[in-house]
Amino acid sequence: MNNNQVDPITCQVISGALDTIAEEMGHVLYRMSFSSIIRESQDLGAGLFDINYQTICESESTPMHIGSIPAYLRGIEETLQGGEWHEGDVVVHNHPYHGSSHTPDLAIVIPIFHQGELVAFSGNTAHHIDIGAATPGLIIDVGDVYAEGMLFAGLKLYEKGVRNEGIAKMITANSRASNQLMRDIEAQVASAKLGVKRFQELLDRYGKELTFSAIEKLIDYSEKILRQKIEEVPDGEYRAEGFLDDDGRNREDRLPIVVTVKVKGDSIVVDLTGSAPQTVTAYNVPFEGSCKVAAYAAFRKLLLDAYNLDVPIPSNEGSFKPISVIAPKGSIFNPIFPAAAEARFTQCNRMIDLIIKALAPVIPDKVIAGSSASISFASYAGIKEDGDYWVFLEVNEGAYGGRPRSDGPDSIDNLMANTRNNPIEDLGMHLPMICDRYELRDDVMPGAGKYRGGIGVVKEQRVLTPGFITHESERHYDVPWGVFGGKDGAVGKTEIYNLPAQSKRKEMPSKFSGYSTQAGDVMAYYSPCGGGYGNPLERSIEKVREDVLDDFCTVEHAYEIYGVVLTTDLDIDINATKERRKELQQEN
Amino acid sequence: MARIGVDVGGTNTDIILETTHEDSIGKSVYQHKVPSTTDDQSIAVMQGIIEVCKKARIDKSEISLIVHGTTVATNISIEHNGAEVGMLTTKGFRDILHIGRHKRPHNFSLHFDVPWQSSPLVKRRNRIPIHERILPPEGKVETALDEAEVRAAAEKLKSNGIKSVIIGFLYSFLNRSHELKAKSIVEEVIPDAYVCCSCEVVDAMREYERFSTTAMNAYIGPKTSHYLKHLESELKEQGIFADLRIMQSNGGVSTVESCCDKPVNILMSGPAGGVIGGHYFAGLDGEKNIITVDIGGTSADISTLSEGDIKIMNPRDSYVGGHPVMVPMIDLITIGAGGGSIAYVDEAGGFQVGPRSAGSMPGPACYNRGGKEPTVTDANIILGRLDPDQMLGGDLKIDPELSIKAVKENVAEPLGLSVKDAALGIVKIINNNMALAIRSNSVARGVDPRDYVLMPFGGAGPVHGPALAEEISAKAVLAPPAPGITSAAGLLTTNLQYEATSSLLCDLNTISNKNFENIIVYIDELEDRIVQKLRNDGVEEKDIKLTRLAECRYHGQGFELRADIPSGKLDSDKLAIVIENFHKTHEMDYGYRFNDAAVELVTLRIIGTSDSEKLSWETLREAGDQDLKEAFMYERNTVFDDGSEMLTPRYNRTLLGAGQTIEGPALLMQHDSTSLVPPGWMAEVTKYGNLMIAKKHQRGEK
Repeated sequence: MNNNQVDPITCQVISGALDTIAEEMGHVLYRMSFSSIIRESQDLGAGLFDINYQTICESESTPMHIGSIPAYLRGIEETLQGGEWHEGDVVVHNHPYHGSSHTPDLAIVIPIFHQGELVAFSGNTAHHIDIGAATPGLIIDVGDVYAEGMLFAGLKLYEKGVRNEGIAKMITANSRASNQLMRDIEAQVASAKLGVKRFQELLDRYGKELTFSAIEKLIDYSEKILRQKIEEVPDGEYRAEGFLDDDGRNREDRLPIVVTVKVKGDSIVVDLTGSAPQTVTAYNVPFEGSCKVAAYAAFRKLLLDAYNLDVPIPSNEGSFKPISVIAPKGSIFNPIFPAAAEARFTQCNRMIDLIIKALAPVIPDKVIAGSSASISFASYAGIKEDGDYWVFLEVNEGAYGGRPRSDGPDSIDNLMANTRNNPIEDLGMHLPMICDRYELRDDVMPGAGKYRGGIGVVKEQRVLTPGFITHESERHYDVPWGVFGGKDGAVGKTEIYNLPAQSKRKEMPSKFSGYSTQAGDVMAYYSPCGGGYGNPLERSIEKVREDVLDDFCTVEHAYEIYGVVLTTDLDIDINATKERRKELQQEN
Repeated sequence: MARIGVDVGGTNTDIILETTHEDSIGKSVYQHKVPSTTDDQSIAVMQGIIEVCKKARIDKSEISLIVHGTTVATNISIEHNGAEVGMLTTKGFRDILHIGRHKRPHNFSLHFDVPWQSSPLVKRRNRIPIHERILPPEGKVETALDEAEVRAAAEKLKSNGIKSVIIGFLYSFLNRSHELKAKSIVEEVIPDAYVCCSCEVVDAMREYERFSTTAMNAYIGPKTSHYLKHLESELKEQGIFADLRIMQSNGGVSTVESCCDKPVNILMSGPAGGVIGGHYFAGLDGEKNIITVDIGGTSADISTLSEGDIKIMNPRDSYVGGHPVMVPMIDLITIGAGGGSIAYVDEAGGFQVGPRSAGSMPGPACYNRGGKEPTVTDANIILGRLDPDQMLGGDLKIDPELSIKAVKENVAEPLGLSVKDAALGIVKIINNNMALAIRSNSVARGVDPRDYVLMPFGGAGPVHGPALAEEISAKAVLAPPAPGITSAAGLLTTNLQYEATSSLLCDLNTISNKNFENIIVYIDELEDRIVQKLRNDGVEEKDIKLTRLAECRYHGQGFELRADIPSGKLDSDKLAIVIENFHKTHEMDYGYRFNDAAVELVTLRIIGTSDSEKLSWETLREAGDQDLKEAFMYERNTVFDDGSEMLTPRYNRTLLGAGQTIEGPALLMQHDSTSLVPPGWMAEVTKYGNLMIAKKHQRGEK
């Protein structure tokens, strides 16, 4: 057997082993970590990378992290302490102008040596709850990147296996949650070390040549499949527009997003020209580590839908190669140093939403109606009795748009987000907070359609001590779109009120920073609801009735929009329904 | 001490009877098989038990123990035909079961299904919020339970005809009073209802997982407990007063009463017996790395065992039908592929096999019970891999013409293939489906199948063994001595096992006197509960083995690891050992320990087992020179995977001794199973009667 040509069985085995290594790395990281944003939400990514910074494998954790680490690695190359890798080095990195996704997502990278030669990198990223920014946890309304907290660029936390205690001490002294920060960094180091160990075992077993021959083959395979799928999309330029609420400071200034998808042959260019200029706050998107990553993810969802694939596509560099992204320098998607760029998630999600919208006319069977396409990222913080801070980061979900063959899922992480919620009971046991409500919204109806949009969530969190809330969300104004006759969904909203004082509910903007809270203050978040897909009058009558029985839909809404008439016992009045549907048809 | 193992499959019910020298008929092992009765599994179970006793000429009253592996609970969760469940839950939290952990099953998908939303265990219309509030961290009552509201909700559920109700309140692991009170009210209003509280089913923090487990329990509860109780009384009526024990998902057995309370523990009862049986027979010959493939008529169960260990999943990782179910289960997967899997051409002209199965009624076309569609068994008949006159030793009457007709009309003609090629296609497709599933349970986890033997069993297993081994590159095939009853035999090789948990959150390093006392009290209570259960099962105190575990984490972490608690009354030295045990486990699992972090106890778990008498499988006599000649039955044509048709000898496997080798092509026949040895392969009978079938090393290969 030719040594450097991998046979199909070994290739399969190595592929499985790589997936397992990445999963194991992610597993150790979230199981071992201390802050709930990592251990429960799993806001992290982990994997192996070759010396050209190509992704070899990535854990199936949070899509925003998947694909971001190569940009970190390129940034580390620009800034590496001492300029050279040694066995036993551990680098910490988060500089958004050197490839990071955003500052709180610290990367830990360890070089992998095989027989004395640098062959690959093991690395991971995780969202940390506090790195000493201007406000606890999250930041929006700040002037530049230095206000985002500590910046690490190519910094060696361990040099040749020896931990730099000075750096550890300095990190500890600069965070409101230093215990969690340092321990979560150790969890990242343990995860990256495991990646090193497992990959070395693989190399020992199959040899370097055979292993990398398999890796090449797997990357080519993923690339080839995506290119084939792109070929099936008609060539052309497709455009869609939307807008964002505000930049977190200037409340009246809406920010346009313009997406042009240029399909040519087997590749795609996403051009964001026409989108808003960079903002004066942290509401900007690091280009390398976030903007590009979101565009890659969009096409994996659209064209390599994992649910419809018989065989999963290996998660590697191959799925990035056919996609390129253009965003003018100085725009919200490509800010110029030293602009702050921490709050970047909702812009990315809107970009994906608009890529889907742009392509709706040409691939109607693959697209879905407008989703919430935002996020709710909340930071709750306060001072404990011993004078220390407590900080809690929470990701709240959204809802999907209606789909060609099914309703949009309700109350679930949307598009680029795929975290898990923090169990309510776990929260109450460990922090001075109480969850007062967590259920589906009942104040609005989701977008009606042959397949309806998903229903958003309402979550009410009460703080038991005075402190601060920072909240990053979107879509209080730009409603999720219906498609092919489907109705628009519903916008989100956020309220704050004091429970013991029974105060009035105060409407909050979608983004606010460092809001001072009193004990007993409650923040109520209502996520947007998805748009509908197809004409509501084509929705099956029985489905409408089922929705009414489950309180997903009111009797009035069933009558007004779906033309379904129910008796007082909630049985279908078939004749009246026929009449009502005819009437609505004529109105249209 | 006559003991019976009864394993119900989707198609057949397999029975093994083991007697000892003390029994009237002396020491022996008998096996039997009857068609499963899907509407009521107990009919075939009873029939099988009575028939095997007749066969052995033993009086039914001599049977002292019956161990039963059942798919009743599993089938309910697969077929979505469980009870309509009602739920009372804390006001403001009606949709915990609908939202789950708000994470999608796929990162990169727009068209994904969300099982907990599309097939809910409790429909939203039946989830009724109740005013009540218990507060962390002590479990103080902030809002008292609104009992009138509970009563009204129960009335409403009653008027909707609901007979299965769960109570799931937040923080019930801190204070059970509201759940228990609500339960008693519901029981008053609907006296014949199946009611369970979340704190009774799993006493653990994390509302979604606890509610989901409880909902699954109530969803499968009424049907499962009806079945088990019915079976128990049937046995008595037939004059069989043996103890009835049920295989649990964790590989231990339990009583009927306990399974009726917590049917959620027997969701994997059926497949568990197979894994244990495979483990037992492979272990006899010292094989430690095995992939078990239990192929029945309807489905195939697959499990990978490394270094001789049966892998139990962490309850936090256990899902059934997409729903979290926080109970310990053997790590295995099930797919819809078996001898009865139906081959058809789909609307788009695609050639498909399974997951729909002809089961035992009507069964494969050749059974002549009215089945018109071709199955995998029909294909094997056409290919000469199964002999029509030898099915169940000739007891099962088969018409091969019906196989040909079914394949011809439904597959060959629509696709323009010969009947032979269509039959080969059916076998290839089903093998490929199984191979993909095996890979997902092995290769996809980094296990290299080249270090493993593939162990096919179930009546239909060994005929597919070599092709599967080839497909996944396993090093050999190991066919157990009695493939058809491997699962049933597995039931007689395992122990009684009970687990009980108690939730108790506290930091161990700075533990208060009160909590220290609590740990001691809780351990005592849990141990008493387990010991009592085992005693009720007739186990003597000296045979009871208790394992005490503290499920801990560093304060602030979200996942627990298990630390052993030393036996004897807990004191501060022993507590220090628990803490150190946790550090050690953490270091072993994750490669790091946080010496300065506080260790937090989350759950106390006691596992009680009792060693039961194990099936004693005898070694085989040594092979003699003339054995092969004597075992030779006849020669017939058989078609192999490359399409070649060869005159292939059939041997009676039961006449072969240890050490015997058989060159392929050959078919080794026994009552309920046929083992295929393809050309270029060689079979060898092992000391305990397993059949090791491997490719002959060709010259030039190492």
